[in-house]
Amino acid sequence: MAILKLHGGKQATCTRRVATVLHELQVPFELIEVDVANGAHKSPEYLKIQPFGQIPYIDDDGFLLYETRAICRYIAAKYPEYGLIPTEPKANALFEQAASVELTNFDPSASKAGLQLWIRKMGYPFPTDDKIIADNLETLEKKLDAYEAILSKQRYLAGETITLADIFHLPYGVFVTYAGSESDSVMNRASRPNVARWYKQLISRPSWLAYLDGVTTTTAY
Amino acid sequence: MVLKFYASQFVAAGNGIVALALAEKQAAFEFVPIDMAAKEHKTEEYIAMNPFAQVPAINDDGFAMYESRAICRYLDERFAGQGATLVPKGMEERAVVEQAISVESMAFAPPLAKVVMELVFKVRRGLAPDRALADEGMKEISNILDVYEVILAKHRYLAGDDFTLADLVHYAYAPMLAENGVDIMTVKERPNVARWWNELMSRPTWIKLKAEGMKSTV
Repeated sequence: MAILKLHGGKQATCTRRVATVLHELQVPFELIEVDVANGAHKSPEYLKIQPFGQIPYIDDDGFLLYETRAICRYIAAKYPEYGLIPTEPKANALFEQAASVELTNFDPSASKAGLQLWIRKMGYPFPTDDKIIADNLETLEKKLDAYEAILSKQRYLAGETITLADIFHLPYGVFVTYAGSESDSVMNRASRPNVARWYKQLISRPSWLAYLDGVTTTTAY
Repeated sequence: MVLKFYASQFVAAGNGIVALALAEKQAAFEFVPIDMAAKEHKTEEYIAMNPFAQVPAINDDGFAMYESRAICRYLDERFAGQGATLVPKGMEERAVVEQAISVESMAFAPPLAKVVMELVFKVRRGLAPDRALADEGMKEISNILDVYEVILAKHRYLAGDDFTLADLVHYAYAPMLAENGVDIMTVKERPNVARWWNELMSRPTWIKLKAEGMKSTV
């Protein structure tokens, strides 16, 4: 069986999300860099595989899949022993609730602010906008007040154990902190001690630390 | 105790897709209206059910949850064997459904929200729409639908030849477009999208829901 191929970018945000989950599940993978700078992701050959012209996608021994959350769910389902997607019906429903919270209540503002903050930090030559960053961080602050209420009752978003729903908050959950300092940022405020606790647990996981300098082919764990 | 469905009266957004999923699964339920104009979703009692103070929410004999997409998935399991199967069990089939569900939230919904805000909500409230924003949104939706056209040339629905949750999530806002004179979903330049959308709009469960509105089955 061929090694899983992750077609994406070493530093690309969504590629990093998939790599983090592959690492969590100890899945060997080969990073195949797509030459985005030269428009490789918009070529007719590429569009046959990923018709929206985006990275990443995976090639799992011939099975092709795109959309990072779909990719992560597929891999997590292959290795249920890690419990990243609980299977018991009510635990699964609470996981889906938390995964939907990430999608609808976190990602819209976190990805808008986070992407721009990441562009600035990396020094990429793309325009950024102070107002977009500020407005989205403001929205995010309010959403995280609800997170504080949830995380004051349980350790992780879906219950006492970590699931994909928590891990989906990477990497944008880290990028939004670039607007603050290590001791005080939107994810780490004294006024939201439970969010801070949960956030610190996420960023100390080996799967996040493994690719701080970018995603690399990982054949052994 | 019969399942309680807390939602607003409007057959749209998260309320609409859960109401449709309940119908697809032939589920028995009690509809408990939440009057958002009267800020019933901001009461302490409601926030205890949903800390994001959003509708809808359900309570299935003591098991409470929120987030419409999650509720639809739960209903599919809870009422497995009844009505339509919203998410297939096979690993690869399921992954393709997840791929299509993700495309809706990440690519289709954001520009649609722009267009619905400007050309539906603002117009309804007698406010002047921002034409530039609306045009921008329409262009983005059109670009996404060009890709849907390619996908829907290969199979009947978005994730294969069966109706799934990936199609169902599209009922949240897109039906409002045609209702307000915006025909982007059925333009003849995209015959596969038009075919698919017309099928969705003539699905019996949807027609019944639109005709009868939100109401308890018991």
